[in-house]
This record gives sequence, C-alpha cells and structure tokens, in this order.
Amino acid sequence: MPDHWGFVFAAYGIAAVVLFGYWRRLIRLHAELSALKARREVKR
Amino acid sequence: MMFARRAWIVLWKDLLTERRSKESLNALFFFAVLLLFLFEFALGPDRERLTAALPGLLWLGFILAGLLGLGRTFLVERENDCWEGLLLTPGDKGAIYLGKLAVNFLLMAAVAIVLLGLFGIFYNVDLWASLAPLSIVIFLGTVGLASVGTLFGAMTSQVRARELLFPLLLLPVQVPVLLGTVKATEAVLQGLALAEVAHWLKLLAAADLVYLVVGILTFEFVLEA
Amino acid sequence: MTRWLGWLAALGLLAGLAMGFGYAPKDAVQGNVQRIMYVHVPSILTAYLAFALVLIASLGYLFTRRTGWDRLAHSAGEIGVVFTGLTLVSGSIWGKPTWGTWWTWDARLTSTAILFLIYVGYLLLRGMVDDQERGARYAAVVGILGAVNIPIVHFSVLWWRTLHQPPTILSPERAPVSASIGLALLVNGVAFALLFLYLLSKRLALRRLEEEIRA
Repeated sequence: MPDHWGFVFAAYGIAAVVLFGYWRRLIRLHAELSALKARREVKR
Repeated sequence: MMFARRAWIVLWKDLLTERRSKESLNALFFFAVLLLFLFEFALGPDRERLTAALPGLLWLGFILAGLLGLGRTFLVERENDCWEGLLLTPGDKGAIYLGKLAVNFLLMAAVAIVLLGLFGIFYNVDLWASLAPLSIVIFLGTVGLASVGTLFGAMTSQVRARELLFPLLLLPVQVPVLLGTVKATEAVLQGLALAEVAHWLKLLAAADLVYLVVGILTFEFVLEA
Repeated sequence: MTRWLGWLAALGLLAGLAMGFGYAPKDAVQGNVQRIMYVHVPSILTAYLAFALVLIASLGYLFTRRTGWDRLAHSAGEIGVVFTGLTLVSGSIWGKPTWGTWWTWDARLTSTAILFLIYVGYLLLRGMVDDQERGARYAAVVGILGAVNIPIVHFSVLWWRTLHQPPTILSPERAPVSASIGLALLVNGVAFALLFLYLLSKRLALRRLEEEIRA
C-alpha cells in the first residue's frame, strides 16, 4: 500500500488554512467593529 | 371545529381568487408544457433514453413547477396589503397554515395531473395501467412538497430576495421527497407492485407527517408582525 | 476565559497532531492515508454538535424570545457549516487515493453534502432578512425543520444507494478500531471540541458587537 503522503499533507494543510482563516476572519471583523463602535462613541 | 372552519375559509377564499383570476393555474400549465419541450430537446428523441429518465424528469418538472407556484403562496396577501388581516385572525395560526397548504396541494395536484397527461401523450407511456399506485405516490410527494413549500413560502414572502431564497431553502430540504418519489415512480412504471417499494412509501409518509407537524406548530412564529 | 479556551484548544490540536502522526501506527490496510481520519471524523462530530446546538437554541428562542438563544443558534450554525465543509474536503482528499475518485455518491457522503446545503441556506436566510427579530424567528423555524429532516435525509440517501432496506438501524458491521487509533481519535475529538467552544465564544462576542452597532 503506497503512503500518499501528499494527500495526507494536503488534507491537514487545507484544514489548517480553513480553520486559521476562519479564526482570522472573526478576529479581523471584531477589531473592525470595535473600532467603528469606538469612533461612534467619540462622535457623541 | 372552529379550527377546521378557519382552515376551510382560507382555502375557499384562495380558491375563489384563483377561479376568478386563473393566474397561477394558467401560468403553471404553460410552464409544464414548456418543461416538457425542454426535456425533449435536452435529451433528444431517443425513446429508450427518455423512458429511462422519465421518473426523474417527471418529478424534476414537478418540483420546478412547485418552486414557481408555492413561492407565490402568500403573494395575494402581500400585494394587496392583507398580511395584517391574516395576523389578526383569532385562534390557532395552524389553521391558516392548513388552509394554505390545502390550496397548494390542490394547485400542485392539478399540475401533476396535467404533467402526467402530457408525458403520457408526448412520450407515449402507458399510464393507465399504473394509475392507482402512481396516484398514491403523487399524493405523498405532493403533500411533502406543499407542506414545506407553504411554510417557507410564508417566510420568503417577507424577504427582500424572495425568488432567490425560496428555492435555496426548499430544494435541499426536499431531497428525501425527491428520492422517494422518483424511486417509487420508477418501480410503479416498471409494473412492480407497491409492496416492493413499501419502505419508500413509509419514508414519504413519515416525512410528510414530520413536515406537517413542524409546519402547524411553527407557523404562528412565521406569521407575526 | 475565551483566551484560556483558545490556548487549551491550541494545545489540544498540537497533542492531536502528535497522537495522529507519532503515536498512532500506520494503518495495515490503508497505509498512512488513514491519518486523514484524525481530521475528518472530529470535523463531522463537531459539525453534528454544532447543528444539535442550533436545534436546541432555535427551540429556546421560539419559547423564550431571548436574543441570547438566537445569537447561539447563529454562531453555532456558521461554525457548523465551516466544519461540515472541512469534513467534505478532507473526505474527498481521502477518497481520491483510497477509492480512486474525488467524489462518489456514497450514502454518507451524499447526506453530509445535503446537510451542508441545508445549513448554507440557513445562513443565507439570516443574511437576507433585514429585520433582526423577524430574521431570528425565521431562522429558528428553518433550524428546527433542518434538524428534524436529518434522519429523513439519512434514510432516504441510504436506501437510494443500497437496493434493499438494511437489517437494523445501527448495524455495527465495521471492523473494530484498534485501541491506539481509538485513543488518537479521542484526543483529536477533544481538541476539536475545545476549538469549537473557542470559536463559538469568539463568534458570540462578534455577534454581540454586531447587535450593538446596529442598535
């Protein structure tokens, strides 16, 4: 049975990219919205 | 008693509107004819290929017609500003759901009959022999399609991109109904006894029941301000 | 609290990697491709956990009308879609060397794909309703219908692929999993559950912020 390490690394790589990307997205949106909120409060 | 009566009033109102305007029925019949021609053009005139694909085409056509017809369920109320009228109806909102469901069931049953007749004529399939078992399959499939369609139709009638959202919500949920009806229709058209596909019929009946119960219980949450 | 969860999840994932690549032996039949399982199985279990939460939170919202329930349903639904997508992709990558094809209409593959589509529709609905309260109600109804539909989809797809009805509902006809593989799976499962909780708390905080900005 051949090992197909390429497929294994592809699977782990994609999983890492997807999960990391989703996490980054949450962080980024949170930072953006916090900044927006802070700016609004300053205006008031 | 009152529950059944309220459902009946909704059904009667919509049937009357439809009888006077004939808007949905005419459009859906025409759509069925168009679909038939499109299937023919897409698959070519090869008789055997058509016969093999027939159950799938039949239900695909039926579901496409359902997307058009069921999405309009609450259009009358919306366009004529009668949504508040529905909201103010006293008592259990499940009755309104059942009434609307009955309207949709009748509408889709009419489409099914026309579509079947057209398939029989144009594709030269002998439907008379299997008419009784076929009507059971169609009944179960129509209830499944209409029960979810009515619930989602009420929702999407209040949403911006309703023509877009309705199929996106309805189609994935309808996969079991599509699989069951296509498999059962296939067996019936091959002349097999209904007992051969009893598990599919049971699955369809169970799905219908689940959709109906969820629909009746959750409809009051859809029909709010 | 959230920060701690994050570190715990990161540690768990590292431990999972070590277990998956270091501790667990090479599979006798499939070879090293089998190691994809340590991503694939925890992903789908997490997705099921997420969708179960969507069902509970949807019911909770309809009964109590507290925005907290809606927040939970929304967040869990979104993360569930991410994990379902991951399941499909990792399964597909495993299938190519093992079955020789990226995709077959296998029963479990198909029902997972349908699950994915149902909950993508759920998220689209949330995006398309302008009124917050109405969107929450509609989403709750779809969340409930989608969840009760899962067993129906499961059986329909199973019978669609196999000609005859299976003898029992839960037929454990698979080969028993060896203890070390089971342990590696368990560690990865716990790590994914921690990751899920961490992402959930992040998503919930984001959703709370969204509401404040909207108000």
